[in-house]
This record gives sequence, structure tokens and C-alpha cells, in this order.
Amino acid sequence: MTVLQEAIRKRAAELLEAGEVVRVIAWGSGRFANQTSPLFVSAAADAEKIVFNDYCVNTLAKYALNEKVDGKIAVCVRGCDARAINRMIADNQMTRDEVYLLGVPCSGMKDRATDEVLPKCLTCTHRNPVVYDELLGEAVAEPAEEEVSGLRYSGIEAVEAMDREQRLEYFNEVFNSCIRCYACREVCPVCTCRECFVDQLRAGWQGKQNNLNENRFYNLIRVFHIGDRCIECGECARVCPMGLPLMELNRKWIKDLDELFAAGEEGLTDELDNTLGRYKTDDIEEFM
Amino acid sequence: MSVVNEAQTGVAAGTETFEPKILAFACHWCTYSGADLAGLNRMNYPANVRVLRVPCSGRVNPQYILTALNQGVDGVLVCGCHPGDCHYVSGNYYAKRRLMAFRRMLQYTGLEPERFQVRWISGSEAGKFRDTVTSVVEQIRAIGPYTPDPALAALIDKGTDAQNPILPESVAAGEGGDAS
Ligand code: SF4
Ligand code: SF4
Repeated sequence: MTVLQEAIRKRAAELLEAGEVVRVIAWGSGRFANQTSPLFVSAAADAEKIVFNDYCVNTLAKYALNEKVDGKIAVCVRGCDARAINRMIADNQMTRDEVYLLGVPCSGMKDRATDEVLPKCLTCTHRNPVVYDELLGEAVAEPAEEEVSGLRYSGIEAVEAMDREQRLEYFNEVFNSCIRCYACREVCPVCTCRECFVDQLRAGWQGKQNNLNENRFYNLIRVFHIGDRCIECGECARVCPMGLPLMELNRKWIKDLDELFAAGEEGLTDELDNTLGRYKTDDIEEFM
Repeated sequence: MSVVNEAQTGVAAGTETFEPKILAFACHWCTYSGADLAGLNRMNYPANVRVLRVPCSGRVNPQYILTALNQGVDGVLVCGCHPGDCHYVSGNYYAKRRLMAFRRMLQYTGLEPERFQVRWISGSEAGKFRDTVTSVVEQIRAIGPYTPDPALAALIDKGTDAQNPILPESVAAGEGGDAS
């Protein structure tokens, strides 16, 4: 880890020195030793403030959207960050030459509170960046091919196995707990609309009351909007202040698309190929 | 929100008086003509269905479906042209993928499968329109009214102002307002 941290600092300083990028997005220390926050470095001398340890929980890619306005920027990318960058390029939010990608292999980050590996990292299927300009350090081992679907879907099988009343009760509890802070939307690399449907006051899609109906509406439509493009970074569930199991919603949608239309994993390339944006005339039929 | 009041309080669950309210989104080019033909042929089908014409089944945003359910209908039916027959060539293919996944998501989060259904009905299939509507109404009648938010429904049942459920009675009655 310290070797990797040194490598990131060194390359960040060099890139800034040479004027190749105006800013580097990495992680910096927080108030506590086991806490980090995203760090935006624009002077070579500040590169030594970059840290890389077991607690770099933030996926950085979405910050690149706001930071790329005044020139090329460098971003540290692990598997999740890299897939998020691919996603945003595919969604026309940025172009590949607006970002310089410092690839960082990652074998999972820890939750500061419990010191256990984060849930989102336990189910990660791409620990090495899938796209980068240079890879710092040695690539780490990826999960075996046959483990992948287990990793992705083990979390929702228990929910699928419940009967309808139990699921209704379970999700009513989830939706009732949502405080509609929209943190899950803000952090998501797929949620890049300039104006979200929940903010379209005149269209009035989303009521302002905090009740079960409105919360269910928000959560189900959020999943509908991101479902076929979700890169499964797990950030939404990580940032939810109410600790809601949002991946159980996302992954249900993803699993269905996978089973019905062979959707596959998202964000592995920067080609736009979302499952609900295309069709086949011989798609499976159940509405006759 | 009179729809909510009527649907959730006008009839008690499980009694013979329950008349479901069904919203059917019908595509202009096929199903709506099919419904028209059913009318021309004097076919009988239950009056519980409200037909809402849309240009294409692809126009049916899942937000419409949730909004309808939230605002007091007991079931939603989406109908469009058969695959291959879409007036806009591909609208129903997109709708198919979208609604297949959305329907699974609704069921996953606990909705009865009967409450949201999709059927392809062409302009000449008046009989199919009648049969579909009849069967959907029967199914919903059997499972009873939809209460998307039991807590909210309880407030309405008690006659509380559903729009302001947390207001104390004195405020709701206009007493004790700000003196200025
Ligand atoms: S982050 Fe959690 S509480 Fe906030 S809107 Fe999303 S689901 Fe609701
Ligand atoms: S929905 Fe959640 S898991 Fe999917 S891309 Fe957005 S933040 Fe990541």
C-alpha cells in the first residue's frame, strides 16, 4: 500500500509539474487515521498530501465531471472508478482525452466503523481498473469466472426466496426509512442528468411529502433510470445515511436484464450499449 | 385527490360491493381501435376500466403506472400493438423490454402480479380486448382494493385530512393561527 501511495504521489507531482494535467483527483487523509476523503491536488508540491490506504472508500470518478472544466485532469482509478469513467464516456458526459487515468489495483477497502471489508468490495468483480493510461503497482488477482455471478447475485437470492407478503413488508420498511436526501443519486456515476425527475417541480413527478408512496416512487424510478447502465459500484448503498440495501434493488433489475436479454456487466468498455435502449425482434415474449 | 378518497374509503375491503378501478393505457393505433370496435359491435365489458389513449405503448412511462397506483386505481393494464405491428416501427419492442423488467421489479417489491399487466391487442381484436378487460377486472375483484400506503389509508379512513395528516386538530380547524 505504501509503495502504491508513493507511486501515486510521484506520478501526480510529475504530471502537474509537466503541465500535462491541471488537477489530480486522489484521496487525502481525513480527521482520523482510518478515514480519507477525496483530494483535489493542483500544485505539484501538494502531491505529498495524497494517501492510499485501506480506507479509500470513495469512488472518485464522479468528481471528474465537475473538475474537468478548466483542462485535462488526472484521476486515480480502481475497478469501480474505471468502470464509472467508461460509463460517463458512453453517456457522453466526457471524452476519453479529457481525463488521464492513473490505474490503481485494489483488493478491497474497509469500513471505518467496523474495520471490516465494505459490502460493495466483497461483491466486486473487477479489482483492477478496466481502462487506464498507466497502471501503478502490480495487478491483483480477479475472482474466478464461475464465482462472478455468485458475487453479484448472492445478496438478492434471499430476498427473492421470500414470499410476496414478506417482500412487501420488507420493502415497505426500506421505503419507509428513506429520508429522500438523494445522496444515492448525487454519488452515482450513472445519474448525470442536468435535471433529475425528482427536481422537475412543474412536471410534479415526485411529491415532496415523505411517505411510503412517494418514497417507493422515488426508489423504484431511480432503479428504472439507472438499472440497465448501473456499474454495480455500490456507492449508492454506501452513502445512504439510513443504510438501506439499495444494491438489492439495483441487482434485481440487473439480474433480470441479464437473464432475459443477456445484458452482461456494464462499464467494461466506453461503448454505449444499454439493454433498454435496444431490442431484438425475437426477444422473449410474455405479453401475448 | 378525490380519486384516493373514493377508491380507498368508498368501499370496504373484502365486501361484495368492492368495484375495482382499472386504468388501461391503450395505444392509439391498435388497442384503442380494438376497444372502439368492441363498442361498435355492442360487446359488453365491465365499466370498471378507464381507457387512456396514448400514441404508443412505448409512450407509457413506468412513472405513469406508479402514479396511477398511488392515486387510487386498483390495477393497471398496458396494451399496445403486437410486436412487428407498431405504427412507429419499434415502440412496442422498447416497451416490452422495459415493462418486462419493471413488472418483475414491482412484484419483487411486493405488488400482486395481477395489478400490473401488459397485453398486445390489435385493432381487429375487439373480442380479445373485451376478454382481457373482463379477466383483469375479475382478478382484481378477487384480490381486493389496493392500499399502497396502509398508514395513509388509515388516516383517510379516520376522516383525517389526508393532505395534512400531521397537523394537530386545532390547526387543521383553523384555530390558534399566528396572531400577526
Ligand atoms: S441515500 Fe438512502 S435515504 Fe437518501 S434518498 Fe437514497 S435511499 Fe433514501
Ligand atoms: S446505482 Fe449505485 S451501484 Fe449502480 S452505478 Fe449508481 S451508485 Fe453505483
